[in-house]
Order: sequence, then C-alpha cells, then structure tokens
Amino acid sequence: MSDIRTDDIDLTEDPKLGLGAHAAALAVVCVIALVGNTVASENTVPQGLVGLIILWVMCMIGMLLTKFVPFKLPSVAWISAVGILATMPWTPGSAWVLDKVSHVNFLTLATPCLAYAGIAIARREIEIAKTSGWKIAVVAVLVMTGTYVGSAIVAQAFL
Amino acid sequence: MPIKDILLDWRLHGSVLVITVIAELIGVIAVPIGIGSILLLPLLYAFVMGLLINPNVISGARALIRDREVHAASPLIVIAIMPFIAKFGTIIGPSMDKIIDAGPALILQELGNLGTIVLAFPVAVLVLRMGRESIGACFSVAREPNIAIIADKYGLKSQEGAGVMGVYVIGTLFGTFIFAILASILATTGAFSIEALAMACGIGSGSMMAACSGALVHAVPDMEEQILALAGASNVLTYATGLYLCVFVALPLTEKLYDLLGRKEPSKAGA
Repeated sequence: MSDIRTDDIDLTEDPKLGLGAHAAALAVVCVIALVGNTVASENTVPQGLVGLIILWVMCMIGMLLTKFVPFKLPSVAWISAVGILATMPWTPGSAWVLDKVSHVNFLTLATPCLAYAGIAIARREIEIAKTSGWKIAVVAVLVMTGTYVGSAIVAQAFL
Repeated sequence: MPIKDILLDWRLHGSVLVITVIAELIGVIAVPIGIGSILLLPLLYAFVMGLLINPNVISGARALIRDREVHAASPLIVIAIMPFIAKFGTIIGPSMDKIIDAGPALILQELGNLGTIVLAFPVAVLVLRMGRESIGACFSVAREPNIAIIADKYGLKSQEGAGVMGVYVIGTLFGTFIFAILASILATTGAFSIEALAMACGIGSGSMMAACSGALVHAVPDMEEQILALAGASNVLTYATGLYLCVFVALPLTEKLYDLLGRKEPSKAGA
C-alpha cells in the first residue's frame, strides 16, 4: 500500500482538448474572470468585457501558433509573445489595445486558475506527499528558497 | 472524458465562480511579522477553497465535487492561466526598453536557478541522509519540463524519479504560498532591490510567478509595471533556457556532487 507507484503519474493523461474546445473553455474561464474583475476592481462590466475579449483573442492566436508553427514551444510562451508584440510602443494600435486591457485586473485573472488547481489535486498526489514524508517537504522548501534567493543574488550583482 | 462534459460541468465551473467571488471580496490581507510582512492574496484563498471542496482532501465534499469534477478540473488549469499570461504579455510589451536595460542581469540570473543545488542538496545528502532521490529532488525546481528530463534519463519509478515527483507535488500544493511569502518577506526587509526580486520571480511556472510577483506588487505598488515586466520576461526566459540549463549544467553537476558527498555515506552513517 505504501509503495508509491510513480509510473502511474502520467502528465499527458489529461483529456486532450481540440482547438474549438479550447476556445469554448477559454470563454467559460473569461466569464468567471469577468465576474471576479467586477467584484475586485472599479472597472465596469462593459470595460472588463472588452478587455477580456481582447485577451481571449490573444490566447487564441497564441494557440494557433502553438499548433501550426513547426518548432515546439509551450502555448504560454506563444501567448505571452502575442501580448508583447501587440503592445510594444512601435506596434500600430498598441495604445488602443493597452487602454482596453488596462481595465482587466491582472491578479484577478490568476484567481480562477488556482481554484481549478485546488480542485484538481488527485488522491495519489496527496498520497505521494504523505508517503515521501517530511524529508522531501523540507527539501522542497529549500529547493524553492534556493532558486528564488539564488536568482535574486545573481540579478542584484549584475544590475 | 468527452469534451462536452468538461465544458458543461456546472458543479465545477459554478464552484470556481463562487470561490473567485469570495476570494476577491476578501481581498489582500497583510500580516505583519518581525522582519517584514506576509501578503495573503485572493489567488491563495482560491487555492485553499479549492482544496477544501476537493473530495480527496475533505471526504464530505463528495456531495458537491465528485471524481469527475476533479478529473475535469485538470485540463482547465492550463486554460485558465492563459488570459493571465496574455495580460502579462501586454505589461511586458510597453516596458521593452526597461527589459533591454536590465538585459545582462536578466540573462545571468537564470544561473541563480542553480541555487536549488547550493541550498537543498547538502541538506538532503548530509543532514537528511537521503539517497539518490536527492538528485531528482534538488537539481531543479521540479516543474513539468524537469520531470520530463528525469523520466527520460532515469524513469519515474527510480529513486531519482521519486525525488523529483516528491518536490513536484509539494510545489504544486504549497509552491504559490512559499514564493508569495518569500517575495513579501524579502521585499519588506530591503536586503535586495525590487528589480532583482522581480526577476527572480520568473520560476518557470505561471501560477508561482503570479503569486510571487503579486506579492511584490502589493509590497511596492509604485513599481507595479516594472515588477511585472521583469518577472514576466524572466519567466519567458526560464521557459526558453531552463531546460538546457538543467540538461547540460544542473543535472550533471548534481550527479558529480552526489559522487563526492553521497559515497562517503556508507562509511560514515550508521543508519
């Protein structure tokens, strides 16, 4: 029972969604984000809606690029690239895009994601955490502290 | 599971909607502690509330959230982070000049990710007396690409595999908390410049970067644009370079260190 069957953990086993399903799921997420944005900030529903529609379009362009560009990059890399290119000072219309997306509170966009993450924790993940015990937890905290403080020290030295 | 079931799972999306509203209504809470203050963010409450209605955590929650909801939630994590990433891009774009100014520091701080080995590895091997799982546990921050490296080289059934999976799971469960707390403490103590702390937030995980840079923004609201731009750029860089740093530097280095430190173990350790 206590044997951890790590080979059961297959990161690709999540149901695969096609592009159309992605578009629809993204719309569901955007609706939740719109409600959150209205609660969290002074922005009105129409302001938030326009901003989220623009962000939705950026995500879709990013996903199309992920699918059709021959070299492999994670979709988040493409999506952030689309966001960057659309708002660089020398991009035509960037001021308009910036003005519209400014009505969407950035931290609020992460809130639904973490709610899904909390619900998605599977039984075997809890079992691994329990069985690998306190030692791995101590190491994990040190690993995270190490990467953060290490990066900050190097950045500080070269700034 | 059919796509339609994931999209129309009202129990799941309804729960997330309610959680989001409650989390945003509570808002940011700053808890002062001796050397700084810990910032509790809505995204952290959302994660805790998600766990509290997870039937694997609280069995009574099964009335609302069943195994099918748990399973359906998984692919939605990646989708739900996308608008956030797009918004992040729109913050980086206008600040391209600042990022170019910070260029050398930004690129070199990727080497700081080797801090996982410096800090965690000696403790794992010398203090906790862990075996080869310390290699998998300490060579990286154990996100998905790093698991792929270990799976490829040792297999996930190996000791190294158990190490990387253990840190991965702890990171998934508590990573956002740990980085938010680290960032808010270090920001309020003043030991590092805010720019350096912002760059360090680019960990290679969207939600961890969100928690980390969010905590920084709340500690220093005047620098919001700059913090988000540097954290975002650093995160993109980590996606691009992190894998190579791990394969060509971090993993071989950890292996070497294990040969040096780990071999003395049988003669020294009674256990």
